[in-house]
This record gives sequence, structure tokens and C-alpha cells, in this order.
Amino acid sequence: MLNLTPDFILIQFFNGLAYSLLLFLLAAGLSIIFGMMDVMNLAHGSFYMLGAYTGYSIARATSSFWLALFIAPLIVGLVGFGIERMLLRPLKGRGHLDQVLLTFGLALVVADFVRAVPGWGGEVHAFPPPIELAGSIPFGSGQYPIYRLFAIGVGLLLAAILGLIISRTQIGAIVRAGVADAEMVGGLGINISLVFSIVFAVGAGLAAFGGVMTAPIVSLVPGMDARTLIAALIVVVVGGLGTLRGAFWGSLLIGEVDTFGRALLPDYALFFIYGIMVGVLLLRPTGLFGRKT
Amino acid sequence: MSNMSITRREFLRKLALGVGATAVVPLLQACATPATPTTAPVVATAVPTVPAVVSPTVLKPSASFKLGSILPYTKVYAGLGESITNAMTLYFESVNYTAGGRKIEWVKEDEENDAQISLRKLSKLIDQDKIDMFTGIVSTAVLYAVRDPLNDAKMPTVISNGGGNLLTRKGTKGTAVGRYSPYIFRASFSSYQISSPLGDWVAKNVSKKVAICASNYGFGTESAADFKATFTAAGGTIVGNDILPPLGTTDFAAFLPQIQATNAEAVYSFFSGSDALSYVKQFDQFGLKKTMKIVGAGFMTESDVLPGQGASALDAYTSLHWSTELDNPENKAFMDAYAKKFPGKDVDVFAMQGFDAARVIVEALNKVQGDTSNKDKFLEAIRGVSFNSPRGKFAFDPKTQNVINQIYFRQVKQSGGKYVNAIIGKTDQPILDPENM
Amino acid sequence: MPRKTLLTYAIAIVVLALLILLPFATGSFIIKTVTEVLIFGIFAMSLDLLIGYTGLVSFGHAAFFGIGAYAAGYFALKTSPNILISMPLALLVVIAAALVIGYFSIRASGVYFLMLTLAFSQMVYAIADRWTDVTGGSNGLAGIPRPLVQIGGLQYSFDDATARYFLVLVFFLVSYLVLRQIVNSQFGHALIGIRENETRLRAIGYNTTRFKLAAFVIAGLFAGVAGVLYAGFNRFVSTGELYWTASGQVLIMVIIGGAGTLVGPVLGAALILILQNMVSSATDRWPTILGVIFILFVFAARYGVMGLVRQIFTRISAGEKSSAQK
Repeated sequence: MLNLTPDFILIQFFNGLAYSLLLFLLAAGLSIIFGMMDVMNLAHGSFYMLGAYTGYSIARATSSFWLALFIAPLIVGLVGFGIERMLLRPLKGRGHLDQVLLTFGLALVVADFVRAVPGWGGEVHAFPPPIELAGSIPFGSGQYPIYRLFAIGVGLLLAAILGLIISRTQIGAIVRAGVADAEMVGGLGINISLVFSIVFAVGAGLAAFGGVMTAPIVSLVPGMDARTLIAALIVVVVGGLGTLRGAFWGSLLIGEVDTFGRALLPDYALFFIYGIMVGVLLLRPTGLFGRKT
Repeated sequence: MSNMSITRREFLRKLALGVGATAVVPLLQACATPATPTTAPVVATAVPTVPAVVSPTVLKPSASFKLGSILPYTKVYAGLGESITNAMTLYFESVNYTAGGRKIEWVKEDEENDAQISLRKLSKLIDQDKIDMFTGIVSTAVLYAVRDPLNDAKMPTVISNGGGNLLTRKGTKGTAVGRYSPYIFRASFSSYQISSPLGDWVAKNVSKKVAICASNYGFGTESAADFKATFTAAGGTIVGNDILPPLGTTDFAAFLPQIQATNAEAVYSFFSGSDALSYVKQFDQFGLKKTMKIVGAGFMTESDVLPGQGASALDAYTSLHWSTELDNPENKAFMDAYAKKFPGKDVDVFAMQGFDAARVIVEALNKVQGDTSNKDKFLEAIRGVSFNSPRGKFAFDPKTQNVINQIYFRQVKQSGGKYVNAIIGKTDQPILDPENM
Repeated sequence: MPRKTLLTYAIAIVVLALLILLPFATGSFIIKTVTEVLIFGIFAMSLDLLIGYTGLVSFGHAAFFGIGAYAAGYFALKTSPNILISMPLALLVVIAAALVIGYFSIRASGVYFLMLTLAFSQMVYAIADRWTDVTGGSNGLAGIPRPLVQIGGLQYSFDDATARYFLVLVFFLVSYLVLRQIVNSQFGHALIGIRENETRLRAIGYNTTRFKLAAFVIAGLFAGVAGVLYAGFNRFVSTGELYWTASGQVLIMVIIGGAGTLVGPVLGAALILILQNMVSSATDRWPTILGVIFILFVFAARYGVMGLVRQIFTRISAGEKSSAQK
């Protein structure tokens, strides 16, 4: 039977934390985009994947992980900006079905693009972490990789920054107002369509950042876009649409439950996550922190 | 959008439209379809395209030999499909796409790691393209799916990867049914051939105290079971419960502490592709490598993942029917030719299997001098094919029509600045896959 | 009788005749392709009942297709390949599943409903992947016998592609007629009412929850029928049939065909299946081509194929009207 030592629990807690923060990076963007623009973006996982692959190429070309970490999200953010302007803007008011079809098609194109790029292709690629962070520290009877601790730290930092922006700055106020009532905000004279594009771009950039951060842990694999998308969607639903707090606590909940679930009962781990989602929706139909529409 | 008061006429109109479109579209397709053009699989660097259409000069169209293949070019196994296709191209080009006096016309389809789609493609190959022979299949699930249509169509088949044990066995055992077919040959391997010898060898050469960690899908659990059987028979003990991460796991952090807690001396690990890449790296990162050895099927450290695993894979013991380090003239020639034709691509066991599969097809055709009208004679020719392959001697077991594989025991070592699977031992006899369940 | 209606009657008869003559005029590949199109046509129509008429966008409909397929395959293997036995048994399983999943799902709406249906179908997928004794696990359920009908001593086995084609065609026509009846009935109108404004219908006194559950179960049932036919046609069921990508595919069939028209989704099924096949055989870049086509559809064909067809018909009748006025 399983040895539930304090060591084991602590390790899984940290593992879960790392996974939660990755989910947060994706869910934050997805949730705000959904809450504010009512856009169901099935191509969000594509941004994550693009970030990872772009970062991989930058790191290989410049031998600098840090350059990759900062440049890749910028590039993907720009791509996201362009996609919002050209493809999503014209669909305003047309309902979710159209968005599903569009973003699904987009995801197909991006996945194929990744496969076509020389050097990326259909193979599996390892993305080594920077030498400074490549080691492990002793932990209990084994050791724990430093890079994961780094990822946790960065994730928490980013969450704090985002939280501050949303709650303390003017742009954050605009975003929050936009989630509550976008038309009203437009009526106040603010260029709401520009805000939309920026929010979408930031969401894409965050996802890309998550991609570069986790690539050293999970490597670059065809199909990585779909897997994380589903997890992020679950987090968004559990946390509530349009709320950063929801994305944060939702990620924490799902991330930890998933990690412990996989550690304790791997065959049923899936059920835990979906079970949580079903449970939350039954008790609070709009998610933990979502508002009732 | 919809009209509330639907009259009978509206209803019939819609019925007509729907039913009509359903009939018309495929009819249009039937009129429009010529011999299907094929493209070379997408390869990053320059790869010459496979000639898609039969050269019309001297031969009558019916004289060309149509080979159909289903291999993955998209989704998770894309790399394997590409390897196999590359090597097959390499071999066919070396014989100028001619065998038994006939021109080989090769129609390729994408497996897409999807049984439903592969079945459709197979139907197209058999019913529309009218292929004479079939080859390919990477995923075991797809393998089992196509077995029946191939058997029903009496299609001579050479499988170039899918290693599910059941394919070449006869009889039944519990709920499992052997899926042997007289038309299907396998030129790659069976899970049993790879993992069964390893159990005995590990018990005698590595450790008698082993934990099991295998990818939780058919191939993984089947291989683990075959390992356990011979391992325990040779006096080994399995410690702890089997740890079975789901297929597609990229973060093993949840499982590694459990493995460590077993205090085993070695861990039989079955993973391939991206799972293997992450597993081996993380096994090292979490410190397990300091106290435990890794043993497993060779796919875990094959060329597709070994460079990425790097030092983390050092000293891992694996069993496989081939290695880049195999020192025989055919292997050297094969690897040189592959490197020359596909620079920047690592040759791997999948490419080797494709190379052999292509050769089987050509040799069989040569044997019957291109006359495939007598199916039994053609099958007999395939059955009797034997040659020196990069893996050693190639021959089918006539009882199961599965290839007989010499299994090598390998250890990851550093050689000439790279990591390689050095050969440190081999089975006394080549391994046959059992005939019965 | 106005000329347009006469024309559509004629088309209907011709098309029906074409469908019946199809197997005698073409080869086995076309027959098999159309058989599959008809099967997925039933599947797509069933989803249209939910999406197009009731306004419930489900992302987990493949669960019922898959349950139907696995159950049919299982019963055919273990109980009897006689579809008079295996089919009702399989459909009972499907109905039970639809009742359970529906009961929980319809409490939510919009994107929450979508995620719930996704969640349940993923759970069904996980069960199928693990329950190796019944489903074959990740290796799939293989060797499903050909369907046959047996009454007393008389037996007919659908050994031949043409026989199976007609079996599926009959089920398709029956399914279409039944679904058409449903959407035209008062029940169907209530569903449309729920789609348009559920609160208002509630205010009038309709128990919308019961209507939604009924729609969900009926949709699931017909998806199950498609799944049962699929098992007999393919003789193999894999977990891929249950995966969320399968739910996504049928959803796209409905959207591209034209939601809320019943016929549209059938056209969508035909288009998607045939397009996927043709494009995938022609090039490795098929995901890009498919993706671009989807995107183009969103912009150029808002209401799907049926929308385009309607436009053409409107133009024809406008032309008629103007020529009649001369």
C-alpha cells in the first residue's frame, strides 16, 4: 500500500503547485477573455504550444533560456493581437457555435504549422533548462529539481503581479468593468475594442509564457496544445468566468487534486477532476467566484 | 431560423435535399477520383519525393504492383511514420522501384493514430485503389482494427511496426482471442519478443528485486506482464504494486516518489516517445538514478529520445532486436545510406523495420517473378523470404508469420561524444513469438 | 401546384431512387463511404435536436455513440449477433446512460452545460479505456461479428457491403422521419421555445427541465442507434469514438451543415467525412486545409450548407416570381 509519509505529501504538494501555476497562466487569460468578450477560445492551447516551440528555437539560436522566456510571449502576444483583430472581431455577437468552429479550425492550422516548421516537426524535443537551474536539491530520501521550484516562484510572482494590476490599476479597473458590462464601458468613451484586442493578446502571451516555463519539465510534444486546453477549460469553469481570483483558486484546486489523484489512484485521477467540476457546478452553477448572469 | 409551420411539401423538399446531397457528393467523388496522388511525408530537411505515378512507357498499367501503406504522418506517432517511410523509400530506390519485373506503385495514407480513420483509408486502398499488397501500421489499436478487413480481403500484408502480441497467435485464452491470419506477416517484433527475454536476463545480471512502472496501455501492460513472467521464473521478486502512469503522461512527479518508496534495486520501465523522454529525465532529476537502475524495452532509449535524455539515460539497460551499435556490414551500409539520404535525421529501430519490410516485399516479388496471380504461391514466397538484415538474419517463423528476432541486451553508454545503446549481451537463441495463446 | 414544389417532389423521388440504385451502379468503396455517411448522418441529426432545436450545445455527444457501439459490439460478441437481440439491449444501456448524464447536465446552461457534457463523456472514455474485459481497453474491441437477423429458424446475415448499406439506409430514413415528426410536433415547438426564451416558457407553466431531459435522452438514443450500426459496419470499436475530438467532429458536422434544419447536419456529415478522406489522402497538410475550410465557412456560410442551399432556392423562387410577374 502507499506510503503516505510527510515527505511524500510535501513533494506532491509542490508538484501540484507547479502544475497549478501553469494552469493559472492559461486559465487567467482564458477566463478574462471569456468573461469580458464572451469568446470561447479553443485555440488557447495553440498559444501555449507556439510559445513553447518559439521559445525552443530562440533558446537554441541564442543559447539563452532567459531571452526565450521573454521574447517568445511577446511574439505570440502579437500573433494573438492579430488573430483577435482579423478573425474574432468580425464575429462579434454571432454566438458560441461560430467561435467554436473558428477557433477549432485555427487550432488545426496552428498545430499543422508547428509540424511543418523545419526543426520543430513531428518529433519530440527536449528543452533543457538553463544550467543555473538544472540541478536538484536534496529532499527527504531523494531530491527535488530546482527548476520546478523556480517555476513555482515565477508563477506565484506573476499571479501576484496580475492580481495587483487587476485590482489596483486603471487598466485593471477597465478590464473588470469590461467583464461586468462591456457595452457600458464602450459607452464611457473608452476604446473597448482596443481593450479587447489587448486583453486577448495578453492572454495569448501568458499562455505562451506558460509554454516556455513548462517546456523544460514536459518537453515539446505534438498534441501538447489539446491536453492543456481541456485542463484550462475545467479550471475556468470551476473558478468562474471572467475572474482572476477564480482562475487562481480554481487552478490551485484542480492542480492539487489532479496531482494527488494521479499519485494515489492514477486510474481514477480523471474522475477526481471532472467530479470536482461537476460538484462545484451543482453547488455553485457559475463557478466558485463567477457572477450570476 | 426554422419555419414553424412546416408543410408536407417543405418536409419532402428537405428530405430530398438531404438524401440527394448524401448521394450526390460521393458520386461526384467517384467520378472525380483518378489514381490517388501521393506526396512524400513532411520531412524537415530535403527529402526527394516518392514517384507517385507509374512510368507509362513500356509496361501496361495492370503490370505495376500496387503497394498500399497506412503509417502515421500526423499526431503523436508522426516521427515513427516518417522514419519507416524514409527507410522504405531508401530501399525501394535502391532497387529502382522494381521487383519481379514489375514497377512498384506506392500509395501512402495517414494513420492519424485513429482506428476509425485508418479503417476508412484501408477501405479506399482495397476497394478503390485496388492494391495488391498492404504494409505499415504503427499503433497496436489500429493494428487490431485492420486485421479483420485485411483477412477478409485476403490481402497479403507485411506489418512494419505494431507489436501487439495477439496479432500472430492462435487459439484463445480467457477473453483474449488470437488474431492470426494466413495473409498477415509481421516484419517488426512482438512485445513478447522484446520483454520476455529481458526478465530472465535482468534476474541473472542486474537485480532480483525489481519494481514495475509501465505506461498504462496495451503495449505497456502486455510488455510488463511478459517481463514479469520470466523474471519471477528466474527467481526474481517484484516489489511493490505495479505503478501505471496513463499513456501520454509528461510529468511523472506524481509517480516517482512512489517508485522510490518501493526500495527496489531496479525498475522495469516501459515507455516510448515523449513519455520515455520525460520519464528518464525526471527519474534522474528526482534522484532515483542514484539508488536504482532502469531496465526496460529498447524503445525507452531509442534514437528518437536518447539525444534529449542525454546523461540521464546513462547506464540504462534495455532489450531490443537492434541497435545503432550493431556491428555487421548490412547495418553499417544501411545507417550510412540513411544518413546520406536524410541528413539531420537520426536513424532508429523503426527505420530499420521499414527497410526490412520493403526488402521482404521486393524479395517475395522477385521469387514469384512478379506473378502474384497465385495467391498461395505468393504467400509462400513471402513466408520463405530470408536475408541478412541490419538486425542480423531475417526470417519469418512459418507457423506464426512473425519475424524471428535475435534480441540484444544494451546499455546506454557514451561513445564518441554521443549517447548510444551499446550492446552488452544477447539471447543464446533468436526468439520466436509463441504460436498459441 | 406551384412549380417549385413540383420540382422538389421530383428531386425527392430521383434522389431516393439514386440512393436505392447506388449499390448496383458503383463499387464497394463508394457503398462503404455512403454507408458511413448515413451512419454519421443519424449521429449528426441527433445532435441537431439538442443544439439546433433545444439550444443545448453539447460537447460530449460522442459518449452515446460510443456507448451504443461498445454495447452493441459486446452483446454481439457475448450474447448474440442477432440484431433483434443485441440492438435493443445496447440501446437500453444508452438510454440509461443518457438519463443519468442528462439529469446532471441539464441543470446547467450555456458554457457550463458544454463543460459538463464534456466532463461526462471524458469519464465514459476513461471507463472504456480501463474496462479491458468488456471494451478491450486501449486496444479496442475487435472481431465484432457481422450483424444478422434471426426469427425462429430463419436467419439472414448481412455479410455483404450492399446488404449492410440497405440496413443502414432503412435506419437512416426511419430516424429522419421520426426526428422530423418530433421537431414538427408540439413537443418540438416547445423545444424551440426553450431555445428562444426558456424563462418565458417557464412562466407559461412548462416544466422545461423535463422537456430538456426528454430531448437529451432522445438525442442520446439516436446517437446510440448510429453507434450500434457503426459497430456492425466497422466490426471494431476504439476508445477514439468516445474521445472529445469525436464530440467535436460531430459538433462541427452540425454547425457546417446548418444547425436547426435536421437535413443540414446530414449534409455536414457527408461533407466532413468525404472532405477529410479526400484531403487526407491527397496531402499531409490536411489539417491546415481542413482548418482553413472551417474558418472560411464561418465567414462565408454563416448558416452552414443549408443556409447556402436556402439562398440558392430563394434566388430561384425570386427569379420565378419576377418572371411570373412579366
